[in-house]
Amino acid sequence: MTGGEILLESIIAQGADTIFGYPGGQIMPVYDKLYDYQDRLRHILVRHEQGAVHAAQGYARIKGAPGVVMLTSGPGATNAVTGIADALIDSTPLVVIAGQVGNAALGTDAFQETDYIGLTAPISKWNHQIRSAADVAQSVARAFYIASTGRPGPVVLDMTKDAQNGIAEYIPATCSFIRSYDPCPVPEESVLDRAAAMIDAAEKPLVVFGHGVMLSGAEKELSEFLSKGDIPAGSTLLGLSCLDSDDPHYIGMVGMHGNLAPNIMTQQCDLLIAVGMRFDDRVTGTLESYARQAKKIHIDIDAAELDKLVKVDLPVLGDAKYVLTELTKKIREASRPEWMMQPIMEASVEKHKVIDPELYPEGGPLKQGEVVAAVSKACEGKAVIVTDVGQHQMTAARYSRFHRNRSMITSGGLGTMGFGLPAAIGAKIADPEREVCLFVGDGGFQMTIQELGTIMQEGTGVKIVLIDNNWLGNVRQWQELFFDRRYSFTRMQNPDYAAIAAAYGIAYRRVEERSELDSAVQEMFETEGAFILDVHVAEAANVFPMIPPGKSVNQIMLNETDWI
Amino acid sequence: MKTHGENENLYEVTAYTEDSLGLLYSISGIFARRSLDIEKLLCYPSAIEGVFKIKIYAWASPELIRQAVLQIEKKVDVIKAYYELDTQRSKKEVEEVKEILRKREEKENK
Repeated sequence: MTGGEILLESIIAQGADTIFGYPGGQIMPVYDKLYDYQDRLRHILVRHEQGAVHAAQGYARIKGAPGVVMLTSGPGATNAVTGIADALIDSTPLVVIAGQVGNAALGTDAFQETDYIGLTAPISKWNHQIRSAADVAQSVARAFYIASTGRPGPVVLDMTKDAQNGIAEYIPATCSFIRSYDPCPVPEESVLDRAAAMIDAAEKPLVVFGHGVMLSGAEKELSEFLSKGDIPAGSTLLGLSCLDSDDPHYIGMVGMHGNLAPNIMTQQCDLLIAVGMRFDDRVTGTLESYARQAKKIHIDIDAAELDKLVKVDLPVLGDAKYVLTELTKKIREASRPEWMMQPIMEASVEKHKVIDPELYPEGGPLKQGEVVAAVSKACEGKAVIVTDVGQHQMTAARYSRFHRNRSMITSGGLGTMGFGLPAAIGAKIADPEREVCLFVGDGGFQMTIQELGTIMQEGTGVKIVLIDNNWLGNVRQWQELFFDRRYSFTRMQNPDYAAIAAAYGIAYRRVEERSELDSAVQEMFETEGAFILDVHVAEAANVFPMIPPGKSVNQIMLNETDWI
Repeated sequence: MKTHGENENLYEVTAYTEDSLGLLYSISGIFARRSLDIEKLLCYPSAIEGVFKIKIYAWASPELIRQAVLQIEKKVDVIKAYYELDTQRSKKEVEEVKEILRKREEKENK
């Protein structure tokens, strides 16, 4: 077989059936073979390589398995860099296969040659250049193994023309062990005993959980742990939907635009138990004052995250599912009625000061929260919510209800505008039976708007809720609050979205009035296929609560003038 | 000549690695990202067959060097990394890396 055929056989052998890609000169031998594999591999032709990677990310987050990307060298490869960096920081398993010039041309500045190993070294979990057909099967097996185990991440295979065209015997390869790599560290029993003793001794414990819970499939174990210990829990942005929004121990989202209860209780708890999260600065506010009063346990599978930002009393290196299972066995059944009342009181303040004015305003233009709440109500908290980055992202995170796991897909660590539309396409392709609803701002939408072409060609039924305010809203908010209202280049003139939707054959409705919102949302969900719901919301609105940069997590703006 | 902070020392970082294309770039990038000057860098086969050794000498604070070494160890092709103010550990390191490899192979074979 040629190396190209071996590549495709190896991808299939890994259980993958979908490739997000874009052909070009240095990957043509593989694409030529792909022509014969159409019954076994679905290829999604995106409109830009960044879109391919984000779509594969959306796909991977739903499937819990690596998304596969295929692209050419040079500009094709460099266009994918943003997505690869996004996948690394958000621990998303990807296998990115890039074409490369022939072996003899490497390092000569040949046409469309880039040093892809050098470019992707700091932003990939692992990368490898394949220079011969004989190396393909083992490299692919290794790539899938590395991408999907331990803390998942993007893996890059840089495949030269010689490797694609060369002939070798196809020997199916598997990989379940690499001697330099230990993806499943198991904590010592004594560490777990110590953690359990700390939890039993605590009067006011608080759990903050993140994406690691979802990645290890520990949603049920988390809920059981919280229930036995009667411990309140807050989620990071990427942890959303790991716990049902109605779980009695769930108290909301932590961080800059999170809920009052988990943020304030972070500064009141006597034990902070961090599970599968990395103390991002958007979560902690200023580190100097973050949970100073509390003892801390940090459970994570990545040793480099332990004691990186927040010094803890007990680091627990291990998989969240294993650690939570063991801790639930070890801790005493507890009841903490007084401590569990605290979030109810904080939620009451937030409802009065922030939520009610956002969701039930007395007239005026539509608010972003109203739109999210209307959509969430219509899909009964069971849809996959995908967001882009910006104000609408925070609003979607705050006001969406989640009753199924793996229901929130967003760009957390890198904060990549343009992520949303292609990620939603990937999510819908991963699970066509689930409703996939994208919230996107008018800025981010235009960053990858070309992927409407992918929707058109593939018939992908993504519901797109365009939060349209003619501003780069998040930056505008910071300019208003922290830069003396100097609105430097954040006002946007938007195109005719109705005409754009029509050009791509996508159903469209524009909403400006509150009275139309529910019926428009209903129409969107009742319409078969893709839909763009273009909702014109208040232009100069801000997202609250907000922990301003440099402040502690209990120094919170409730609106433009009121603080806690 | 660059001056170093009061809290900075010259550390010797030793990484035991597989023979992997681009790994050196990747490891040196960890130092560059944190603005840690590399004074000297050596690569050579270790006393363990098939295992390579990368030695980097860099000025850093104790906390920064600890974090950098954890990030080096996170690289898939790095077996183990150490940091020291002196160079007395060499033999002990080799024994420890052999033990790590033995344990991992034993774990896999279980």
